[in-house]
Amino acid sequence: MNLVFALAAAVLFGTGAVLLLDRDLVRVVFGVVLVSQAAVLTLVASGLSRGAAPIYPLSGDSIADPLSQAMALTAIVIGLAVTALLLALVLRVVQAYRSRELGELAGQEAERDARLERLHEREHAEEEAAAR
Amino acid sequence: MTALSLSLVVPWAAGLLLTLLDGRRRVIGWVAVAALAVNLGALVALAAAVLPDDTVVVTTGDWPVGIGITLRADALGVLFALLSSLSLLAATVVEVLDGVRERTFPGLVVLLAAGLTGVFLTGDLFNFYVFFELAMTAGYVLATYGGGRRELGAALVFTTVNLLGTFIFLLSVSGVYHVTGTLEMSGIAARMDDVDPNAAVLIAVGFFVAFSVKLGLFPFHFWLPTVYTGARPAVAAILSGGLANIGAYGLLRFGGELLPDELDLAAGALIVIGGASIVYGGILAISRRSASEMLAYSAIGQVGYVLVAIGVGGPVGFAAAILYTVVNALNKTLLFLTAQMRGAIVGAAFAIGALSVAGVPPAAGFVGKLELFRATADDPELIALLVLGSALSFVYAFQTYQYDFWRGERTGKRSTLPQQGVVAALALLVLAAGVWPEPLLALSHAAADLLAGGGR
Repeated sequence: MNLVFALAAAVLFGTGAVLLLDRDLVRVVFGVVLVSQAAVLTLVASGLSRGAAPIYPLSGDSIADPLSQAMALTAIVIGLAVTALLLALVLRVVQAYRSRELGELAGQEAERDARLERLHEREHAEEEAAAR
Repeated sequence: MTALSLSLVVPWAAGLLLTLLDGRRRVIGWVAVAALAVNLGALVALAAAVLPDDTVVVTTGDWPVGIGITLRADALGVLFALLSSLSLLAATVVEVLDGVRERTFPGLVVLLAAGLTGVFLTGDLFNFYVFFELAMTAGYVLATYGGGRRELGAALVFTTVNLLGTFIFLLSVSGVYHVTGTLEMSGIAARMDDVDPNAAVLIAVGFFVAFSVKLGLFPFHFWLPTVYTGARPAVAAILSGGLANIGAYGLLRFGGELLPDELDLAAGALIVIGGASIVYGGILAISRRSASEMLAYSAIGQVGYVLVAIGVGGPVGFAAAILYTVVNALNKTLLFLTAQMRGAIVGAAFAIGALSVAGVPPAAGFVGKLELFRATADDPELIALLVLGSALSFVYAFQTYQYDFWRGERTGKRSTLPQQGVVAALALLVLAAGVWPEPLLALSHAAADLLAGGGR
């Protein structure tokens, strides 16, 4: 059972990591979601005992570890909130840059930096000339 | 005990309320400042109860010990909570005086204060994650503050990278629970000895990556310059003076207290990464012309010192790491706040901050550097590294001072007197900590003695 959990979490994490490196912002969000699911799955798997639902155990059988399930629930809720926030952020970025490609975003920033650099260089040259 | 509850409940409740109100109104801004002041006051009261070497423990909801979530205030936690709260308060006052631009700003800062206080005062690992995420989420939204294109792009990078960091942290948390069967920090520390070393190393690597991303150490630094230069000065001050403390605290708490053997194992690697951060940050900071860009790269370099001190370890090393984190957070808050201000007092405050970054007496940075030298006294290579780093920081700090204040390249309207007063107060604090360093030294030694590795 542990092996199944480990494989599932590894596949989720790996897929998420690949998507995170994508240039499309929406895919990046999906990557974050998958990585968060890998973490939740690991939390469920980290339970110390397996068995019946821990809500009201009637028989003497072993019960599932409630603590790891509580942690998984909390992590799911936090993951949901964070995903919503991230999607909103991506929406604002797409509206501001009129593109959802990371490459274009970086290109526009690089252009701006190059403009600043040229401005500084010109200022510097003028100062040098004035000093002479 | 009441102080501990107050310091958490007041900013949490106030933050929730404030996010519903329009923060651009001046009154709301001042309410947020008041909530932060209450938080700071409660922490001071708590510090008075805890220091020098006492611990206040509260189990939430009156549950029996071992079932309820424990909140625990000791010297290390209280010191970091005080520091972050102070930095948030100063930055918020400056921003409110300048005029808040977005309705959510005051509420988010107060929620961030609640999250930070919780992170530093919790004794429960999963609770740490929840407060951590609360603080980080407030930080993600704050990074968009100002709403320009650059801020948005920077915030997106910040959010994505740090989310990855927090989920790696969560993976390590589940690992710890599985191998030790408890989430209580004191219990984990006791049971970690019997754990399979391979599993423990994996867990430790997860924590290390998560906190290094937060600190912006050399191979994990790539998000930092974009964010710190893209954000408004007050937000940059909040992120670097408040939020980044989580990284240093996490490395100390998790490395020093929970996983001391793994920290020992990684000592060499920590020193190498710290050294790389010092040199990389210092050199790139010199190549920058604007104050905020210089500060962003300087932030990478300065946390390198903290990492080197943690790598050296032992009571002296940990004390130096704690002290340097305190000094660095004060410096960064002060300098980022002055980054877009103008005026005579601002110039003087910047000069004091620059002296402190470079480690020149009488500023507080000198005491920090002195402790670092004391920690590394046996090791000539490390001393050479620290001297090189200090020389680099001297050059970049005063190069910017020269551009901005001597040649008057900084443009914009003059800052008002109350705003200048806030940075002057911070500058005086940095000076006072340098002139009369005994309380801060005693505090950081008391905090370092708490850590398991501190007993060696």
